Amino acid sequence: MVRSMAEKSRILIVDDEEVVLDSCTQILEGSGHLIQTAPDGATGLRLVDEFQPDLVFVDLKMPGMPGMEVLEKVNTVDSTIVIVVITGFATVGSAVEAMKKGAYDFLPKPFTPDEFRLITRRSLERRKLILETIALRREKEMLREHFAHIVSHELKAPLGAVQQNLFALEFELADTLNEGQKDKVNRLKVRIEEMLNLINSWLRVISVDINKLKENFARISVVIPISKALESVKPLATRKNIDIAVSISDSLSPIHGDELSLSEAFVNILGNAIKYSHDGSKITLAVVENHNAILISVKDTGIGISPDDLPHIFEGFYRGKDVQNTAAGHGIGLAVSRQIIEAHEGSIAVESQAGKGSTFVIRLPALKPEGDPELEIEPARMARS
Amino acid sequence: MKAKIMIIDDDPDFVAGIRAILEKADYEVNVAYNPKDGFQVLQSKSYDLLLLDIMMGRGAEGVALARKIRKDPRLKEMPVLIITGIREQIAFLFPGQAVHPNFVDVDELVEKPIEPNLLLEKVSTLLKESEAKKLQPQ
Repeated sequence: MVRSMAEKSRILIVDDEEVVLDSCTQILEGSGHLIQTAPDGATGLRLVDEFQPDLVFVDLKMPGMPGMEVLEKVNTVDSTIVIVVITGFATVGSAVEAMKKGAYDFLPKPFTPDEFRLITRRSLERRKLILETIALRREKEMLREHFAHIVSHELKAPLGAVQQNLFALEFELADTLNEGQKDKVNRLKVRIEEMLNLINSWLRVISVDINKLKENFARISVVIPISKALESVKPLATRKNIDIAVSISDSLSPIHGDELSLSEAFVNILGNAIKYSHDGSKITLAVVENHNAILISVKDTGIGISPDDLPHIFEGFYRGKDVQNTAAGHGIGLAVSRQIIEAHEGSIAVESQAGKGSTFVIRLPALKPEGDPELEIEPARMARS
Repeated sequence: MKAKIMIIDDDPDFVAGIRAILEKADYEVNVAYNPKDGFQVLQSKSYDLLLLDIMMGRGAEGVALARKIRKDPRLKEMPVLIITGIREQIAFLFPGQAVHPNFVDVDELVEKPIEPNLLLEKVSTLLKESEAKKLQPQ
């Protein structure tokens, strides 16, 4: 049960020694906490239900239900309750076992009032953190759900309308605008386009539900999403005068996947290659089949990725430190691509050298052709030739 | 004779940007700002092409309208160009494939915002295809 954090903290002490219960209650008197005590495990568990404590002290050595069992049961009822075990023998062994079973800390008897106060304070802080984490996690889920809606309605649609009118204005005034005016219109268009691209990548991250993706897998040729992706990045490449050399092996095995999301992944990777390439350079896209896998490699001779950045590029919202001036990256595309590819039981890897360029290799499992054993060997042999 | 184009989209600002381009290219343009009015207009007058938005009203009402058009014996031959700002979401509304296949025979999908040249190219291609189809003996 999660209560408001502003409320008084509730502490339950379970111990068969009355003197321990009394002294603990006394020590915490005036601390502003609500305290209840139980002389045995069964009463303690009942109070956990009724009292809903933030923190439970439980003696390990009690007649009746042993402390370890109380610990386990409290943990099952509500794992957010912080539990500290009191151990009479100061045996490290039982304390360790209790902590393995979910206790936050242990308090060896005999203890001083200060020790008890300190451990109480630390444990309540722990509880507060746990509750805050839960609240944040819930908030994050809510945000995720509403964010896509807000972003697409409140940001993307108006921005799209602005851009559309700008297009219209430029089109209508094509013969009227002078070079300086055309340049200004162009600046407007480019900046809005960048914003729209950013919004689109946010939406992609939020809405890619990997599990749903798998429901729609079908037997497809990988060439289709690749061709779609090439089509989609063509204008970008043309603008930077970049040549994309494509080589695709004949008779590739089909794969089990979703055309739309795969083409999204290829667009991201090709788009990146273009974005981080120098004007007038060349990108090589090769598709081969090797050992029951389709390998798609995208090689550029662009700015490359520094060794510092390399381990993080698939993490999402990560963007290399050195690229700010080069192009407007937003670091989400690769994370989404990786999610999509992993949903296809595939993998993505990168090799890169700063200043020399990068090669991304996507590996997707190839489906064996149905009922034709001859063909199973054929594509692999071709790939090697 | 000018080709007649109908736009059904609930965003008047966006429509203004599309309409200006089409009118400058010498098309005759009419607009409805919701699917209900749009369908009425389509039934009362004949159009050569429909530009249709997907996300209108409470959800993907454009899809429902497109299906209705496809079932209508008089309207089903009219080409439909879907213009939408929701490429990503579409993948999840209609998982597996883009929304347009099997909609109406000769439809196409483009994303908002759309550059004038691309818009005009799509429009003229769809009009030509539809014209060619009409001339074919049944």
